[in-house]
Amino acid sequence: MKDLLALEAVQAVLGGFGPVTQLRSNRIQVVTGVEKARDAIRCAYDGLSCERLIQISTVDLGSTFELTYHLTGLHRTVISIRIEVPREDPAVPSVHDLLPPAGIYERQIHDLFGIFFPGHPNLSRIILNEDWPLKEYPMRKDWKPVKGTFYGGIMEVK
Amino acid sequence: MTESEDMSLSQRLATWARLKSPWITIFNSGACNACDIEIIACLTPRFDVERFGILAKGSPRHADILIVTGPVTRKQAPRLRRIYEQMPEPKYVIAMGACGGRGGVFQGLYHVMDEVEQVVPVDVYVAGCPPRPDEIINAVVETLRILKEDVAHGGREWRKKKQVAHAETAPVGEGMESAEAGT
Repeated sequence: MKDLLALEAVQAVLGGFGPVTQLRSNRIQVVTGVEKARDAIRCAYDGLSCERLIQISTVDLGSTFELTYHLTGLHRTVISIRIEVPREDPAVPSVHDLLPPAGIYERQIHDLFGIFFPGHPNLSRIILNEDWPLKEYPMRKDWKPVKGTFYGGIMEVK
Repeated sequence: MTESEDMSLSQRLATWARLKSPWITIFNSGACNACDIEIIACLTPRFDVERFGILAKGSPRHADILIVTGPVTRKQAPRLRRIYEQMPEPKYVIAMGACGGRGGVFQGLYHVMDEVEQVVPVDVYVAGCPPRPDEIINAVVETLRILKEDVAHGGREWRKKKQVAHAETAPVGEGMESAEAGT
């Protein structure tokens, strides 16, 4: 079993993308920008052998969305690449070609938060029902169900 | 409760067989699986519903009773309706657990229907989170009682009519009878 990655090693590879901080012994976080996320993930993949994606987590912070790519590998260190996406016209370049499982997370985030992923081959619904109305993103903080709107399921009462 | 006099021998035989051995199918419409595990517990040697003739079938086309577990999510609602429509008549529905009753902890969420009744007509509700296996067996027995009454009345329509008449007029003496016969 390999040793945990040191902060200096991560700093050497990912230091150019933004501030690198050690949150815990096995968690290292890099805060970077939307445009540099793809390059940061590729560098982590090649330079730090982070070839596994744990998840892409998303938080609605009000004015922005915060996406975090949690990557890991055989060294068991979790590298969190964190980006902030503006609320107006939220778009993040897709990373499904670098990390194939990311495609499913991106479909889910697009479903629930309305963030677009240019480059994704098939950004269709995965978690909401097929007849869910367009432009309604239920995990956004300011979303409220509109009274009288049909949100899918069965229309008529038996 | 006696069977209708105008039933043919084959109909009487079918009713007898149906009462002796109800076949159930289980549909998970977004439950947390606790209800499903309790139904599986019914099949284990401790409760062993097969000694009562209750058989769990995989296909709704073979089943008389549909057990719906969980709040019906909007994604599952059309599928549940399709499953229900595939079942042969006479068919009965048991809504199981707190979620099947009125949504449970999921009540009012954006992705669930308000109640199972919106999707399929429910005959018996089982309370509990999750209900115990003996309560599930009791619900199936209760469904058979309703089935028997429906056979005696020649269909399930009598339940609806009685409710409407009761709501409109509510004469003295009728309420006792409908409360006793109601589900």
